[in-house]
Amino acid sequence: MRAWTLAILLALALLTPLPLLVAREDVINFVLLVLLSITLAQSWNIIAGYAGQVNLGHAAFFGLGALTTRTLWIGGVPVLLALGAGAAVAVVFALLVGGAAFRLRGAYFAIGTLALGEILRTTVSNALPEISTLPEGSIAGYRLAQRYYLALVLAALSVVVVATLAGSRLGLGMQAVREDEGAAEASGVAALGLKLRALALSTGLAGAAGGLFAYYHISYYPSHPFGPQWTFEALLMTYIGGVGTLHGPVLGAVLYVFLKEYLTVRWVDFHLLIFGVLFIAIVLIFPGGLVQAAEGAHRWLTRRRGRRR
Amino acid sequence: MLEIRGLEAAYGDVRVLSSVSLTVGPGEIVALLGPNGAGKSTLLGCVAGLVRPRAGSVSWEGEDLRKTSPHLIVERGIAMVPEGRRLFASMTVEDNLDLGAFSARARAARRQSLERVLTLFPDLAARRRQLVGALSGGQQQMVAVGRALMASPRLLMLDEPSLGIAPQLVRAILDALVEINRAGVAVFLVEQNVRAALTLAHRAYILEGGRVAGEGRAAALLEDAHVRRAYLGPLAVRP
Amino acid sequence: MCGAPTWAPSRCARDAGAAMTLIAQQILLGLLLGGLYGLAAAGLSLVFGVLKVLNVAHGELIMLGGYGAFWLFALLGWDPFASLLVVIPGALLLGAVLYLVLFGFVVRAHEEIRIKNSLLVGFGLALSLHALAVRLWTADDRSITTSYGGAVISLGDLAIPLIRLLSLAIALALIGGLHLLLARWRWGKAIRAAAEDWQAALLTGIDVRRAYLLAFAIGTALAGAAGTLVSVGYSISPSIGLEWTLKALIVVVLAGLGSMLGTFAAGLLVGVAEAVSATIFGGPYREVVGLIIFFVVLVLRPQGLFGRSTR
Repeated sequence: MRAWTLAILLALALLTPLPLLVAREDVINFVLLVLLSITLAQSWNIIAGYAGQVNLGHAAFFGLGALTTRTLWIGGVPVLLALGAGAAVAVVFALLVGGAAFRLRGAYFAIGTLALGEILRTTVSNALPEISTLPEGSIAGYRLAQRYYLALVLAALSVVVVATLAGSRLGLGMQAVREDEGAAEASGVAALGLKLRALALSTGLAGAAGGLFAYYHISYYPSHPFGPQWTFEALLMTYIGGVGTLHGPVLGAVLYVFLKEYLTVRWVDFHLLIFGVLFIAIVLIFPGGLVQAAEGAHRWLTRRRGRRR
Repeated sequence: MLEIRGLEAAYGDVRVLSSVSLTVGPGEIVALLGPNGAGKSTLLGCVAGLVRPRAGSVSWEGEDLRKTSPHLIVERGIAMVPEGRRLFASMTVEDNLDLGAFSARARAARRQSLERVLTLFPDLAARRRQLVGALSGGQQQMVAVGRALMASPRLLMLDEPSLGIAPQLVRAILDALVEINRAGVAVFLVEQNVRAALTLAHRAYILEGGRVAGEGRAAALLEDAHVRRAYLGPLAVRP
Repeated sequence: MCGAPTWAPSRCARDAGAAMTLIAQQILLGLLLGGLYGLAAAGLSLVFGVLKVLNVAHGELIMLGGYGAFWLFALLGWDPFASLLVVIPGALLLGAVLYLVLFGFVVRAHEEIRIKNSLLVGFGLALSLHALAVRLWTADDRSITTSYGGAVISLGDLAIPLIRLLSLAIALALIGGLHLLLARWRWGKAIRAAAEDWQAALLTGIDVRRAYLLAFAIGTALAGAAGTLVSVGYSISPSIGLEWTLKALIVVVLAGLGSMLGTFAAGLLVGVAEAVSATIFGGPYREVVGLIIFFVVLVLRPQGLFGRSTR
């Protein structure tokens, strides 16, 4: 896993000079989208992969981060501070509600968070129905490169957080909880505390990603980042790549954004049909996602090579 | 005729049965005794189709049962009264009994079977419309046995029928088993109450630690020194 | 409003009367909608209760039922209530296929993994069906307008839309039929037995796999019927899936598992509660109140108000 962490960080580092090398904005936008997706997927991965809970209301935190950041930044607060505030708001909300939600097990947690996400989306949609647009001065001074670097940093951060988590005592504790909550409790692992910490990390990253969204887009409806499609995308990317792994969500995010952008031309939601079917296949046949499939293929290939000799 | 040869069963890494061989002949009452955790329930589970053995064979009237689904095993003529009865608590006595005759073969004889069951357990006739959950333990056991009988079995298996039942009702159930056997049904009985079991059965096997530790005619086992010490001593269950 | 001294008492009483009628009308409409909620939830509840599978694509099945009725109307001129005769068997068949191809594999795992997997599989299915619907039929809203669509029955000051009343009656009939099916039909009892204790059911000679297949098919059929009724009384589009899945979930959680009639009653309750909250808090927030109630009930009492405790 160490190897993968370094490889990914290296790849991200190599992407750093992109705005200087490439003049085409659509390429930069594309890579930025990939980076945002990586951050979002990794944030979901923390709760699902390491704490074993399926959070179907993840968009709520993405949205809260976006809302907070946007409001503060337009109000004059420096963007990084606004971003931090966005992440903080997401975490606070998560901890407030998380305690209640975590009383629920498995499927109930999933549908409970689903409801939560929809509650927030509907409320924001009703409270702020008008489109949010950057003021004139900001549009004039808009630098895509700044957004790009922020996205790069967040993506790298998300990878580092997951990498650190996996090896740490916190991470191992979470894995224990995921495998068998009862046994973990008995051996002294305080399940609720771990879950809440996982929730904090997960939602903090999601909130930061939301802040990036708010900083990046010139205009959008305030309820848009609260929409369930953000949760579903994070879920798809993570699962298809390989939930609970470090590089799985990264691979899943890259694949997903590629397919989405290239298939949108003919058939708007075609990528969703493909991913929907792929997702079912993964759940039923190889729950470890593409990572597992790749490892299996690798093993099969090396075995064949061995036999030939 | 039930024939078990070299049966091996395990849950994960834990070996539960090791080369167990036994038979139950037509019209026999065979008891399976032994301490808790010896694997008796697992053995019944293998015959009923709920547990897949790792090795060995289970054959009934010449046919291998190992790959057969539990509901098809009922169709072949083996019915089981599981431990703890496992009745459908939200349904009436009548419905529980009726479901017992679910298999095609049993459906044909449904009416006669029901008559037989109600004759055997007259207590139930008055309580036909009652919810099973409202009955006492002993009455529930009667429904459980009745439900299994509704399947028109040629072999009836029972897992600890006397557990948690008042003594006089235990007597009634064991007497009923004798009646059932007289009508031609073989009985394979796992029972903690060793004395009662050995009084009832023709033959018995003793299972200890997943292996057959002893077998023989019931009367002989009642006199056997090891059996007396291990199972009929001062700490053993008294009828 | 009425307390100020400048208002004449007679006018005050009249205005209060008008307000009462408004509320009563809203509650009535909520009741009519609640019947559909109950029907939608019944299918989900049956599948969840029997197979221990949470099919979050249930709303998409409702959506498909609606489109089935819509196209029978648009292409063949069929009256939507008549098309139930085709939609229901069609949905039954679809349910059987979905079980054999998909959910039949999910039930092989033991309960905890089973619920989680079913959630994920249902999610993938919902996504796929939604994308397919958008491709085939566009994202536009569709609705069936029949010749008698505007008919209204007057009850004093209240106006009861005929179509919605018919829909409620049909929903009630279907639920009643389901209840009888489960209580009297041999396989209905088998389904209940399998729901309660599948191992004991197997030992009794019941083919539990077939019971599961039947339950899933029936659940899908109920969804299809609900969809048909939605398409004629309201409107459908590929996006209604999530909305109706949530509605069904709310009702199921409120009612708990085990009673079809209780589920229907809970549906009516939710319909009325939504209507009341819309009157008090304003239209847009009606959804939110329902969801909040859902979340609170889920946390405090996952077995619902009517259901038996499964914990």
